[in-house]
Amino acid sequence: MRAFKLVALAIAALLVSVVLRAAAQTTVPEQVIDIAAERFSFNPSEVRATMGTTLRIRLTSDDTMHGFRIVGANVNVAIPKRNRGTAVVTFRPEKPGRYTFECSRLCGAGHSFMRGTLVVTEPEPGQ
Amino acid sequence: MDFHFTKPDRLPAELDFHRFVLLFAHQFSDRIRFVGELELEHAFVEGLEDAGELELEQAYVDFLLTRAFNVRAGMVLMPMGIINERHEPPVFYGVERPLVDTVILPTTWFEVGAGVFGEVGRGLRYRAYVTSPLNALEFSAGEGLREGRQRGNRTNIQKPAVTGRVEYVRVRGLTAGAGFWAGESGFAFQPRFDVPVRVWEADARFARGRFEARAEIAGVHITEAGTLNDAVARVTGLNPNVAERLRGAYAEGAYRLFSSRRIGDVAAFVRYENADTQNRMPAGYVPLKAFDRDLWAFGATYWPDPDVAIKVDYVRERNRSQVVPAPRSFNIGLGWWF
Repeated sequence: MRAFKLVALAIAALLVSVVLRAAAQTTVPEQVIDIAAERFSFNPSEVRATMGTTLRIRLTSDDTMHGFRIVGANVNVAIPKRNRGTAVVTFRPEKPGRYTFECSRLCGAGHSFMRGTLVVTEPEPGQ
Repeated sequence: MDFHFTKPDRLPAELDFHRFVLLFAHQFSDRIRFVGELELEHAFVEGLEDAGELELEQAYVDFLLTRAFNVRAGMVLMPMGIINERHEPPVFYGVERPLVDTVILPTTWFEVGAGVFGEVGRGLRYRAYVTSPLNALEFSAGEGLREGRQRGNRTNIQKPAVTGRVEYVRVRGLTAGAGFWAGESGFAFQPRFDVPVRVWEADARFARGRFEARAEIAGVHITEAGTLNDAVARVTGLNPNVAERLRGAYAEGAYRLFSSRRIGDVAAFVRYENADTQNRMPAGYVPLKAFDRDLWAFGATYWPDPDVAIKVDYVRERNRSQVVPAPRSFNIGLGWWF
């Protein structure tokens, strides 16, 4: 009887964890965004996302090392040089609006042109 | 930075530390930043250009307001052509810059001024500046506008020039743009007369996988070229034979033969250029055929690191003259950037 109770408890715990995990997945959707950097632009330079979505931003460079900084947020990473890998940033915008991202490493004469916009909108009703 | 070995036909070989560039920046705040570029050419400065040049190629402050509208003031690069704003040696193929970006568009072309820039969405961006004009007294038959750059040195700004560029960058790997420059350049003459100069260009570069291609076309129109030649002859005693119209174009293809994280990349390239600085002459003037030039450049670049380029090329230049031989040269260069 005791063994039966233990097995039932384990199954119940497993079910609860599965349900909680599924709930977490439905409440925190993830969006993957690929951005390529090169002197002197980001491509794409405008990205759209919905508030509450966790953004997984994968950054590569077609030439030298660049930086990726979201102004006003605690995001600032180095993008490795061409063929040296991918930088990954996880960012969850807390409020709607336009976030500016820019190169944070002096990359040449046109460094100031390397800017882009992340447009975050409120979720549609029912989403 | 780059230095190179050049061996022209029938001339002695030369080893030149061509450019040593210091690029620096400061961010006053999220919205105000400074960028500067100081360049030493040919390693040594004695006071004359042949011995070397120390140039302040960029020194501007950006006021970043919105994505679509920002303000820039200071020493700025003219937004003309592929090379002028992207002139780091690892970025272009060949030991020397293209001829069109030398004698038609006088790269590196920088002047003091102010203007606006931004991206208006859908990959369209622009810049537009008001700057000091060119000095027509220094125009020449062979190098066009090149020596007319005032380069921020106590520039005459009585009639400012305007320049601008629109660019499309939405498709990954593709940058296509067009630029213009317009100004009155006769301020050095007494009595002053206007020399309206118009410069235009269109260019595109595309990279996908191992393949890369570039093309550029540029032209210059000097409205009062005949009057200008007469006026220069009165001042200097020499008639410069400046043309009414200068024109040039090039196309370049490159292929990455090898790409490895550990060893680096190797690419081969070929470029064809035509640059004619005597394309259309004012009435009564005869074009100097030696300045109607075309060239083939073949070569390769090895990047042991994306910011270090070892270059080798062979340049075969031709001209329309029956008398003046066109140079051919074998060149090796080492350029780096950090």
